[in-house]
Amino acid sequence: MIRALPLSAALVAVPLGAAAHQLVVFASTDCQAVTVEAKFSNGRAAQAGDVRVLDGENNLLTTLALADDGTVNLSLADIDHSGGLLIEVDTGGHDNYWILTPEDIAQKCGS
Amino acid sequence: MRKLTVARIWAALACALSLLVAAPAAVAQDRPRVVAVNYPLQYFAQRLLGDAAEVEFPVPEGVDPSFWRPSIGDISRVQSADLILLNGAGFAAWIDRVSLPRSRVVNTTRGLDAQFIVTESITHSHGDGGEHSHEGLASYTWLDPALALTQAETVALAIVGRGLAPEGEVIAALETLRAEMTALDQTAGRLLGAGAGAPIIATHPRYQYLARRYRLEVSSLAWEAGAAPTPTELEDLANLATGTGARVLLWEAEPPAAAFAATEALGLRNVVFDPMASGPSTGSFITGFDAAVAALAEALDASPGN
Repeated sequence: MIRALPLSAALVAVPLGAAAHQLVVFASTDCQAVTVEAKFSNGRAAQAGDVRVLDGENNLLTTLALADDGTVNLSLADIDHSGGLLIEVDTGGHDNYWILTPEDIAQKCGS
Repeated sequence: MRKLTVARIWAALACALSLLVAAPAAVAQDRPRVVAVNYPLQYFAQRLLGDAAEVEFPVPEGVDPSFWRPSIGDISRVQSADLILLNGAGFAAWIDRVSLPRSRVVNTTRGLDAQFIVTESITHSHGDGGEHSHEGLASYTWLDPALALTQAETVALAIVGRGLAPEGEVIAALETLRAEMTALDQTAGRLLGAGAGAPIIATHPRYQYLARRYRLEVSSLAWEAGAAPTPTELEDLANLATGTGARVLLWEAEPPAAAFAATEALGLRNVVFDPMASGPSTGSFITGFDAAVAALAEALDASPGN
């Protein structure tokens, strides 16, 4: 069996598949805009953070700030989303991302 | 006139040749496509599907599939697959950062939650969040052959349920695989049985399910795979070896020779046990697991005090 380590937990790194306190990022679109939501896995909204929006070639399209409720909206008309969008959120201590493929966007646009 | 005829013959030959060259590609594109998040699932799917489908493991060589960060193009390709095989148990962080078509996704450890191993916590603090901990699940479930076989059975059900291959052929392939996995488990049990309870140190926490299956006492460090340890890491290792009495050190990948020399100087016997998340360097899941178990058993046998 796995021995409980007497040494400090700093010796142990784990794949954090079910972390108790992670930043969770989700982005969805209704074909008009992309809504980004960022919250911690304990349910608390991320109240501040940078939202970077990149295209399919990893080019930075824009950077936005999270609102107090952990969300931000981005008009699709303002960006080239043909190659999909990579949404990165960085709160300073935690970061995570969400990928919207061209197919995800097209599906919401009825095509 | 004759010149024209020769030209026509050459044109016809070129056309026929291009058709011949294009034919296999067309056939390949017509086959269903399965995506697996790790090598063991890719291996099981290939064994069960034969040539009936193309089975892809999309993570580039040298990248840890647990922490792979896919591109948008990678995810587009995954989304278009006929079947997407997930490992579950928290394996592959990227699956929680994309939309996957629910009807084509299969979690191969579905229903096995009670057998998952909860890992140690890491407590830290930063920003205004205060002190908090991260707790996770051990995710290398396939290192317990009994769990791996259950995963393979789930893959078989998914293949048959979606009509990706003839049912009879899938069942026959599963029976063969089941026999091989059972033999592999019995061999591992016999070889490692003598070392049950012997203290072992792993350079990375990958072997929780292997340890539970064969009653091994594994303490884990958090060294980078394939890298030489720092002086501080070697000091931690020495302390852990003294504290546990371990004489065997498990590596998931072979480090530089100097690393082996440094750990041997601490009285430890080095064993490379590739957990095969990305696939073995040679052979298959079965032969890779067999070879790793044999090497570990030999090291345990040869280590005084174990």
